[in-house]
Amino acid sequence: MGVELSAPPPAGTLPDVGFLNDINAEISDKGFLVTSTEELFQWARTGSLWWMTFGLACCAVEMIHVNMPRYDMERFGAAPRASPRQSDVMIVAGTLCNKMAPALRRVYDQMSEPKYVISMGSCANGGGYYHYSYSVVRGCDRVVPVDIYVPGCPPTAEALLYGVMQLQRKIRRIGSLDR
Amino acid sequence: MSDTVDKIMERDIDPATGDTSIANYTINFGPQHPAAHGVLRLVTELDGEIIERIDPHVGLLHRGTEKLIEYKTYTQALPYFDRFDYCSPLAMEHSYVLAVEKLLDLEVPLRGQYLRVLFAELTRICNHMLNLGSHVMDVGAMTPNLWMFEIREDCLNFFERASGARMHSNYYRVGGVRQDVPVKLLNDIAEWLDTRLPQLFGDAISLVAENRIFKQRNVDIAIVSREDAIKWGFSGPMIRAAGIPWDIRRAQPYDVYDRVDFEIPVGTRGDCYDRFMVRVEEVYQSARIIKQCIQDMPEGPVLTLDRKVGAPKRGEMKQSMEALIHHFKLFTEGYHVPAGEVYVATESPKGEFGVYLVSDGTNKPYRCKVRPTAFSHLQAMDFMSRGHMLADITAILGAMDIVFGECDR
Amino acid sequence: MRAPAPRYAANDGVIEAAKAALGDMLVEAKDAVGEVSLTVVREKLCDAMIALRDTPGLEYQQLSEIAGVDYPQRPERFDVVYQLLSFTRNHRIRVRVTTDEEKPVPSVTDIWPVAGWLERETYDMYGVLFSGNDDLRRILTDYGFQGHPLRKDFPMTGYVEVRYSEEAKRVVYEPVSLAQDFRNFDFMSPWEGAKYVLPGDEKAPAAPVPTPPVKEAKTTDTPAQTGAGQPHPGNQPGEKPKDPDVVPTKGEGQNK
Repeated sequence: MGVELSAPPPAGTLPDVGFLNDINAEISDKGFLVTSTEELFQWARTGSLWWMTFGLACCAVEMIHVNMPRYDMERFGAAPRASPRQSDVMIVAGTLCNKMAPALRRVYDQMSEPKYVISMGSCANGGGYYHYSYSVVRGCDRVVPVDIYVPGCPPTAEALLYGVMQLQRKIRRIGSLDR
Repeated sequence: MSDTVDKIMERDIDPATGDTSIANYTINFGPQHPAAHGVLRLVTELDGEIIERIDPHVGLLHRGTEKLIEYKTYTQALPYFDRFDYCSPLAMEHSYVLAVEKLLDLEVPLRGQYLRVLFAELTRICNHMLNLGSHVMDVGAMTPNLWMFEIREDCLNFFERASGARMHSNYYRVGGVRQDVPVKLLNDIAEWLDTRLPQLFGDAISLVAENRIFKQRNVDIAIVSREDAIKWGFSGPMIRAAGIPWDIRRAQPYDVYDRVDFEIPVGTRGDCYDRFMVRVEEVYQSARIIKQCIQDMPEGPVLTLDRKVGAPKRGEMKQSMEALIHHFKLFTEGYHVPAGEVYVATESPKGEFGVYLVSDGTNKPYRCKVRPTAFSHLQAMDFMSRGHMLADITAILGAMDIVFGECDR
Repeated sequence: MRAPAPRYAANDGVIEAAKAALGDMLVEAKDAVGEVSLTVVREKLCDAMIALRDTPGLEYQQLSEIAGVDYPQRPERFDVVYQLLSFTRNHRIRVRVTTDEEKPVPSVTDIWPVAGWLERETYDMYGVLFSGNDDLRRILTDYGFQGHPLRKDFPMTGYVEVRYSEEAKRVVYEPVSLAQDFRNFDFMSPWEGAKYVLPGDEKAPAAPVPTPPVKEAKTTDTPAQTGAGQPHPGNQPGEKPKDPDVVPTKGEGQNK
């Protein structure tokens, strides 16, 4: 039970030592670094993904779990915010119903650019177990554009954590997404 | 000058006193609010900070589950119950399997009954951790929540080891449980009950139970009398906090609850603080029940041996043609349930969770109505919060323990 | 009762006591699957409920639940089912009235205020009217929802679905279009109960054609007769299917 810390981390997950050494050498040599502002902004964005707590249903519980001490998502700079104005990413956690869809869109519209959406769980991805219901939106991508889909019913806390890391990777790769 | 301002502001001035009369105003709480515990929308009419009237709008998570259940076989409908009250999934399954068993008049092996009680109580601990933690957090304390979620993580690990899933276990079956648990798991649960649970939970509660701020925000908030509690259909910790010692586990025992010894905590004032403390004590009583279950559990099968209802084991299927046919029939057509209707209610962590099941003799339920606990509690929100301050809404909601999966279905 | 369902006080004498208390308000009383259910006259529901609550020996203090059930083949198609609970006698009872789309059921909100939302829900789901409930709005379904979803003639997937429209800049409602229909099986044996023609059977002539008599006894086929072991056209080395289903991704995959 719990996290095993004695074994070394698997290969490929460690930071690139050569890259860090290069940067270190450059700083100690010249005393400054040169980069483009765009890259600097992207780097800063991946490190502070403040997410909007949009818990709708079951997945919200796992979304809380990922913030609690065992998984502690804040070590990746992703902190929960209760206001859409302050948040960068919205995690749609749970079944989106017809009655809720306008509210979801309104919250999304209030978020400031650049904004990202993570769809969490089967119900948000495509209706899932409730796909054929008369009152469920068959996938939250019918209402908001989605960047990352996390599968599972509900996805485990690790899965959501991996989804957030995937989003960071996506931002690093292509920068802010044009909508 | 002031006349002009009054004219611009269109103020009404009371001719008798000369005071400006101020109209009530309405604010909208939710549906996206961190203290709403889900997707609740409260249309609140305020006189200054004082609540005059609350009109809760529910149904923002209405997924049409009852309709979907009518189109699924009895086995396929079971996982929907996990998703009703997603904070205590196994307690929801419990009502459903008991209802189907009652229609089938099916006997359940004793070990299966013990395992169901064990995991139902573990679910109760798990649910109360979420509720107590978020209640404490809503009224301003952060640390206890972090510690209580550590207990919840442990519980989820136990569910995962028994069933393979962290939250939506789908572990109970009509006629018992899906599979037996390893001995190591029972040992670990027993050890956890003696070490981690009392330590973490005791520490967390010691921070708030006698805390002055916590008491100021909860004592004498939303007092409910015994008569009101009965009239408004309260159940579970809500009715016990109002002073009525009513617990379905004791009054109408199901499975092996008549073989275990536990006590029922009862409140004296019926306020939010009492509701909180009733739940705190229930956690300790649940731990007692789990210990007794682990001690008294006999060896034997965990699922009914009636092969027309309980699926055969994988190993059996490789040996016996009959087992293979039973497996095929059970997982395509399912079993037929005799025509009839039952209402089975169990003591879920939130109160009386009932299933009204109408069968027409086919393999799918004709009608499955769920009695949510939150429906009656949330309906009482209006009279409970009248006259309190706006900030008390979070304390009242937190002590009510509502979850929208079961409220809206 | 062998099942481990909740065991409350015995049903002995409850029907007699209810008959004595309700008199001609009672239509039918039965004890099935270990539960007592009473059917009462719809117009006198409130009197019957007060009698059940206040008569010593019955004392059903709490209303647990109101459920609707739809039987479309009946003239009065809806059942409205009330579950009552007695704390003092530790007993449950079920009270039922029947109604249709138009005839209203008397509201019991004056006896138990909890009935308010439960009646709203029954109205929302089945369209049953309750006279005396002054707040009979929809409760669970969407704002502006049409129809009553739990009626048996309402389709499971409903009539509308929502989508965000970039043109209108708001969430719009559209008729349902499903990518794949719900797969519903009737599990009837095609030899016994099925009332439909199996797919493919419609090509067969209606009257059974007598099979021609066998002229020559069939012997074991040799590989030469069956063609086993011969290279199959389209399976030759170097030959590829015309229209491949899977096109391999170019480059190094999508995560690069």
